[in-house]
Amino acid sequence: MAFNLPTETAKGKVREVELGAGGKAKKEGGENCLPFHLWEGQMPNRPMVAAEVSDEVGEFPAALEKALGDVKNDPVAWAKKAVGEWGADAVFLLLTSTDPKATDAPPEQAADTVIKVEEAIDVPLIVYGTEDLEKDAELMKVVATKAEGKNLVMGPAKEENFKRIGAPAIGYKQTVVGMTPIDVNLAKQLNILLTNLGMEADKLIIDPTTGALGYGLEYTYSVMERLKIAALMQNDSMTQMPLLGNVGFQAWKTKEAKSSQEEYPEWGDPEKRGIMWETITALALLLAGADILVLRHPESIRLTKKLIDDLCAVGV
Amino acid sequence: MKQTCRVLFLPDNRFVAVPCGETILQAAMDADVHVNASCGGSGSCGKCRVVIEEGEVEREPNLKLAEGDIARGYALACQTKVLSDLKVTIPLESRIGDRRIFERKEPEPAQGHLLSAADWEERLPEWKLDPPTRKVHLVLSEPTLDDNASDAERIKRGLAIEAGMREVVIDYPVLQRVPNIIRQSDWDVTITVLDSGQGLRAVRIEQGDTTRQQSAIAIDVGTTTISAELIDLENGQILSRASDYNAQVAFGEDVITRIIYATRGTGLAKLQSVVVGTIWNLIKNLVEQAGIEYCNITHLVIAGNTTMTHLLLGLNPKYIREEPYIPSATFFPWMKSSDVGLRIAPGVYIYAIPSVASYVGGDITAGILASGVFNSDKLTLYIDIGTNGEMVLGNKEWLLSCSCSAGPAFEGGGVKNGMRATGGAIEQVRINPIDYEPMIITVGRRKPIGICGSGLIDSLSEMFLTGIINEKGKINLDLPTDRVRASEGGAEYVLVWADDSATRRNIVITEVDIDNLMRAKAAVYAGIEILLSSMDMDVSMIDELLIAGAFGRYLEVDKAIAIGLLPDIGYDKIKFVGNGSLLGAHLSAVSREMTDKVNKIAHQMTYLELSMNPNFMDHYMSALFFPHTNLDDFPSVKERLEEYRAAQKMAAEMPPEKREVG
Repeated sequence: MAFNLPTETAKGKVREVELGAGGKAKKEGGENCLPFHLWEGQMPNRPMVAAEVSDEVGEFPAALEKALGDVKNDPVAWAKKAVGEWGADAVFLLLTSTDPKATDAPPEQAADTVIKVEEAIDVPLIVYGTEDLEKDAELMKVVATKAEGKNLVMGPAKEENFKRIGAPAIGYKQTVVGMTPIDVNLAKQLNILLTNLGMEADKLIIDPTTGALGYGLEYTYSVMERLKIAALMQNDSMTQMPLLGNVGFQAWKTKEAKSSQEEYPEWGDPEKRGIMWETITALALLLAGADILVLRHPESIRLTKKLIDDLCAVGV
Repeated sequence: MKQTCRVLFLPDNRFVAVPCGETILQAAMDADVHVNASCGGSGSCGKCRVVIEEGEVEREPNLKLAEGDIARGYALACQTKVLSDLKVTIPLESRIGDRRIFERKEPEPAQGHLLSAADWEERLPEWKLDPPTRKVHLVLSEPTLDDNASDAERIKRGLAIEAGMREVVIDYPVLQRVPNIIRQSDWDVTITVLDSGQGLRAVRIEQGDTTRQQSAIAIDVGTTTISAELIDLENGQILSRASDYNAQVAFGEDVITRIIYATRGTGLAKLQSVVVGTIWNLIKNLVEQAGIEYCNITHLVIAGNTTMTHLLLGLNPKYIREEPYIPSATFFPWMKSSDVGLRIAPGVYIYAIPSVASYVGGDITAGILASGVFNSDKLTLYIDIGTNGEMVLGNKEWLLSCSCSAGPAFEGGGVKNGMRATGGAIEQVRINPIDYEPMIITVGRRKPIGICGSGLIDSLSEMFLTGIINEKGKINLDLPTDRVRASEGGAEYVLVWADDSATRRNIVITEVDIDNLMRAKAAVYAGIEILLSSMDMDVSMIDELLIAGAFGRYLEVDKAIAIGLLPDIGYDKIKFVGNGSLLGAHLSAVSREMTDKVNKIAHQMTYLELSMNPNFMDHYMSALFFPHTNLDDFPSVKERLEEYRAAQKMAAEMPPEKREVG
């Protein structure tokens, strides 16, 4: 008798969320099996790799500086390159300039950058503030208004400011990322609050907060895994949103990714080291169930896309 | 500065002399004047507000007191030093509350029903009147030269012949009295025999036949309240009842503060004597009401939580508080009541209902006995909500218990305008979903002073259903009413405006209060879920939910379910036990069989330590939401929310002149 692989089919499935509008729109989520368990179900939309672009950058680790070259100070050019040359599925625009602890640029100025970037690319755009509760609320109101109808993905909405970010998103038809501090229940609670506010559940994405390899990755891993299990196996409606892993930002903050050769000669080539730190964090989150991965280094983007190809091929 | 200062407390009109520089709180303690102080004098609760009428004081700056209050002479008793002779008024809100609490009419629960006498018969079919002490009337033959057995042997022989009692040990004080009494009464005596479970003891000798004059006392020693009953052992009837505050309240409101007090210096002896004082007053009251003699009383049975039992028996409670939370004992022998300081009559013994663990005490064991859970085929969840939420899940096959620290929020502690359920406490609240105006009822129908536990649960539930607060307990400041507003301490809802309150201050519910209550309810619900999940069961399998304790009696079930304190099971499955602890003490006082049973219950009950449970935090986090993160577990609340939203939507769409408000 031939061997039959035992299969476990899911009761629920992740909501299919549309990012962007018109010709730029892409769908994410929609899976009804655990990550890459393609013998048990389908992943109609492969996990998406978004390139992180920032509207203001201080100093980046050498490996990133080298890879970015002169686009570093031009978010539009950076975004175009990320899509055209590196093959990013989406752009994640981090509005660093608005940080009240630094430049504190006015929301209108940042929103102009958002529009310029959006117009320059033909993939969905995710826009993030700097996690300042007050500023983000002001910022996203302006961004949502100016980008009406573009179905931007805006965030992060948190428990403390979800109303002020959610309301303009509803009014101007944008999608929202809700961010909670590494806890299954809190993630679910924020989704309930946002849907009660009037957000459609299929306009929501979960950012459960990412810890990089060696810096709490295991917490993010288990929270993502539990959210995915709740969504699929328990058919828990308020966890059935695609998951976003903000990897680049966290991975490149680590000492292991950013230290130079001179500081730690025994750690080897810093460029390779940083890329591996970012890619391995991304891989772990892919296996945990991330649907959208935000990465910084072009080589990490290439490697992660290749990993997704391979994992999808293995499954079939 | 003077050496001693005299402080006059009003309205008690009591003087006390204290060393100058002493705090007003200490002076009040010395004067035996009650000032609410739940933080032990640390200045953190802000409840010991007093008014300095005359004299000089030195105030420690404290944020709990507003500028305006200071201008009006208010001071915190614990943060204010006496510098000269003083006249101090204890304002209404700082007083213990009158004892009318004990006359508070217990409502017939609107949902669920109160267990009645008929229920007891069904629940405890084995029950029969057979008390642990028995009076035996003996008419003995006079000794002769032929029959020269000692007096004691003669009594033992009489007990064997008359009552079939063998191997009775005669207590030493009885022996001392035997030769005189037996002769004075012409060999006609009554012997009281105690069946201690470990043999028979003759504990008292009286002249003549006193068998018809026998009573026992059952006492529930609560952390806040002590209740007692005098029972006629001839027929099992209750002769009188009495309740009072546990005087230990002055030394801290919860068990932890009391344990800390007990471990300092002579604290244990002090707390023991204070609780004995309260019990003694109750006994006096019982005896006077019933018009009996003290010597009719043959034994006492007490039920209390582990700490209260320790403090009454004078056992060191220190290690209850420290990990791994070990009590001195969970089973207690029959003791002479005089050994704990209760000198009622010669040979009166006291029995304490056994505990299960440090935080599941004799009050719970007694409740499980009284409610017949140990006898039931039904899967029963028994909950006693107070500072600690103790709960037991089980049936006649098994019993699983746990205790979760709910904090004092349900008793009004840690809540800005929280108070106990005494006169002037808001106990019922309704809020209009259209204009957000409240309707309140207070205990004693007096001007409101603050909000008690049932009022708080009502308020939360109403605020949630009407949308004043969201699922996270955050107040919606965008509502068209000036009752919701931002204040220094965060957002708040004004339940009573200053003009309408007895304290001339607004009575509010703040977001901080809501957080504290949310944590309390989440701890209780997480405990319920842990009990169920550790048996691989869920809420739907509960056949019967029994709510015990004084607080439970005033609880409106639908409100408690709306906020997710109790699981959403049909109202018909919910029953109120009343004071399960007192009922259990009563049963043990009148039936040896029941005393045996209560011991077995304590032996058999499994205790689950929640602090060791890896899933507790997860359950707790998901319960930190109204009603719960898993709304599907609360179908009736979901339905009600939809109704409220629909009504509000309709009202919003109606032109304002047609709206009916109120």
